[in-house]
Order: sequence, then C-alpha cells, then structure tokens
Amino acid sequence: MTAAFVLDLGRCIGCEACALACKTGNELPPGMSYIELIEQIRGTFPDLEGGFDNHRCLHCQDAACVAVCPTGALYKEDGLTRLDRGACSGCEYCVTSCPYDVPKMVDGRSSKCDGCASATGAGGVPWCVTTCPSRALEYGDRDAMLRSARTRAEALRAHYPNAQVYGETQAGGLGVLLVLPDDPEVLGLPRDPDPPVMATAWQGVVQPISIGLIGATAVAAGVAGVIARRNHMAEMRELEAAEVGAAPVDEAEEG
Amino acid sequence: MATTVDHEHQVLRYRTKQRIVHALLATSFVVLLGTGLLLLWGPLGPLAAGGTSRLLHRIGAVVFLAVPATYLILDPKGARELVYDSFRYDRDDIEWFKTMYRYFLGHAVDMPPQGRLNAGQKLHHAAVMLVSATVVVSGLLMWFFKPQLGATGLAATAVVHDLSMLILTLFLIGHLYFTYVYKAISGMTTGWVEEVDARLEHSKWMDEMDAQADASADAMTTSNDGQDDTQPNPPPEN
Repeated sequence: MTAAFVLDLGRCIGCEACALACKTGNELPPGMSYIELIEQIRGTFPDLEGGFDNHRCLHCQDAACVAVCPTGALYKEDGLTRLDRGACSGCEYCVTSCPYDVPKMVDGRSSKCDGCASATGAGGVPWCVTTCPSRALEYGDRDAMLRSARTRAEALRAHYPNAQVYGETQAGGLGVLLVLPDDPEVLGLPRDPDPPVMATAWQGVVQPISIGLIGATAVAAGVAGVIARRNHMAEMRELEAAEVGAAPVDEAEEG
Repeated sequence: MATTVDHEHQVLRYRTKQRIVHALLATSFVVLLGTGLLLLWGPLGPLAAGGTSRLLHRIGAVVFLAVPATYLILDPKGARELVYDSFRYDRDDIEWFKTMYRYFLGHAVDMPPQGRLNAGQKLHHAAVMLVSATVVVSGLLMWFFKPQLGATGLAATAVVHDLSMLILTLFLIGHLYFTYVYKAISGMTTGWVEEVDARLEHSKWMDEMDAQADASADAMTTSNDGQDDTQPNPPPEN
C-alpha cells in the first residue's frame, strides 16, 4: 500500500494535540519534536487573516533527503519517508537538501517524522491522526486520501476561493496531502520545489562511476603490476648479465 | 662507518624531513579516503553511523591541510624544489611521455634520460597539488558553509569533492603501481635507493650529483693538498 496523510489546514485549530500525541506516542526525548505549530497572521489591521502552519515532514515521493543520505538512514517505505536514527552519521546533508526545511539535528543525528513506523508498520494509524480533535488529519491509502483532500478543498472553496490541494505532483507527489485555504506562496510553501537533479547526479551518477572506476583501476593495476614487475626484473637481470660479460673485456684491455 | 658500508652502491633519494612530510600526507590521505568511501559506497554506509568516521575525516583533513605548511617549515628548500620541478618539463620529459607505455610495462632501459623526478612523477606531483586545492576548498565549504550552500550548492560542491578525490585516488593507484613495479619503496622508508636503479631511471640527476661530487672533490684536493679521497657517491664507471 502507498500510504498518505491528509492535512486540512482549513480545519487545523492550532491546539497542538497532534504534536503532543506524537511526542508521547513515539516517546520522543526532550528537545525532539516532529510537529511544530506556527501561527500565521496575514494582512494589516483590521483586515487580518490567520491560520496555522502545521510544520512537519511531507513525505515527498522523490525525497531529496533520501537521495542525499549516504548511509541509508533515510529511506522510502509504503510511500512514507522513514528514518533509522541509529544508522545516521550526522552529515546534515538531509537538513540542507530538504525543500521544506524539515529535518533537524538532535544529539548529532537527523530527526524528523517517520510516519509512526512502529504503529503504521503494524497496520495502525499515526498518533497525530488518532488525536486530532478537529478532524484535520486523515491517514490511509493515497488514492483514497487524494479523493478526500479534493472533496475537502471543494468544500473549503465556499469560503476561501483559492482553496486547493497541495502535494498531488510536488516532489513526485507528497505523502502528506495538504488542503490549503489559499495559494501555497501565501502560506510560505514553494509552488513546485526544484527536483533534486544535482543531488541525484551526485549520489546516482558521480558516486557509482567513481566507485566503479576506482575498483576497475585497482584490479587492472594489480594484474598489470605483476606483469610489469616481471618485465622490469628480467631487464635488470639482462643489464647485470651484460655488465658482468663486459667486465673481463675491460680487465683484458686494462691488462 | 657502519652506515657508510650499509649504503654502499646506494644513493640518498629522500631526506628524513621529506619522508616525514610524505608520511603525513600519505597517512592523512588514506584516512580521508577510507572515511570518505564509507559515505560513497552504499554497502559501507552503516559503518559511518554514529559519526566516528566523520570525526576521523575532519582530523585527517586538518593534518592534510597542515602538510604544505609543515613542508615549508621543515624543509623550505625541498618544498620549493618540488614545486619548481613539478611544473617544469623539458624535451626529454616530452619524449618520456611519448614512450611512457614502455615504462608502464616495466621497461626502464632506453627510456629518455630523466632528472631527479621523471616526467610521470612531475605530472603526479603537479596533479596532486592542483587537485588537492579543489578537494580542500570543496571540503571546507561543506564543513563550514553547508547551510549557506543550499541543496543544489551542496550537491554541486560534493560533486567537485568526489571527482577531485576520484582523480587523486587514481593517481594514488598509479603511484603505488610504479612503486611496486620498480621496487621503489625504500626511497620512502629508509630514504636510500639502489644506485643502479637511480642511474637507469634518473640518469640526468645522477650526472648532476657526479658533477657536484667531482667539483667538491677537486676543491678538497686543492685545499687538502690531495689527501682526501672520499666521495659520498662515486661517479659512474662509464
């Protein structure tokens, strides 16, 4: 199954129940949090609009963090981006590469939502979804979630004409389908984040070619080295024999 | 006296200070290559978990960065000669490159005469200096300016870093190859090499040494009224 979340920002009330449930359910240590609620106020008084940015991993299908992770600590599973913190080397490549500025370094290792791997891996539902009191969150098969997100956006358009679904195609399709009350730029999201072309070229082309070239050269040098050393030793023996052969003649001439 | 007897038919190719600098460079490079490969080759990736290899990589980087300054402090004359020789190629060097395949296959006889460094060594040293600059700059950028680089900048810098290390590693393989084929390891362990090898592969350098020895012997003969007949490296018979 390709799983996905729906996160309806039109319904999010900023109560932080999801963040708290996430911390509790995943037994996150102090200082570590996978969800951050950021209050957003737009416009000028008295024409103000407000809402909440529910900042969390959006589980990109073409995840830049996975593309650059050198140890495999970040990987895709069931459409979600998992993180094995034990395998993290602390290189921070994911922190720099994420188009949504999500992974953080905690105690020298990457930290971000892993889609409640322990719960969802066993067929359960993520902690944040079970707790949300305003039904802003859903979790299930991505096709079903996409239908739900479109329905929610349609309903939202009655009050917010620019309401839309974000994540159908961005970054290869997001694992968190956002229902936005306005254009993504207004809410601080890139309309279409740049695909990680350079990162893919780096990890997917340059590195395999480098390893292949180094390995092939080392093997070729090993074989050629044995042959060349034999050649050199043979020519040194010939050189020595020629000098030994020449020595009596020199002595005879000197005599 | 024992040392003199031990090195009969040998010539001093690299002084102790030069060998110390080489050992620093070689050790730091191997540490950097090894810890870097953990991030480059997937199957080795788990060994990088925890960040110990990252710490070792940074310690290796500091030592690698310190090598040029160490060389200049320990042996400024040797450092200047190395830079000068590595970027100066004469007609014999060009001819040497044209027939390099013979040298590659283990045939040093009848190669064009070479100086203290053969043309291949010059190219190796020049490449190491130039490519080390790109590997150092890209490495420092990734170390200290990662957030400022951004996603594309980081990946581009890493590509430069990886390709630079690829070139240096291929040169290292070549370096080890020729060391093995021509039994040259003693040059960097004891500093001494067999005179017969030096005359075959670096005849112009040996001719210069002979000329210097002759000149100093003449001077000694004049000043000591012909009583000093010792020479560190006897001139060739031919």
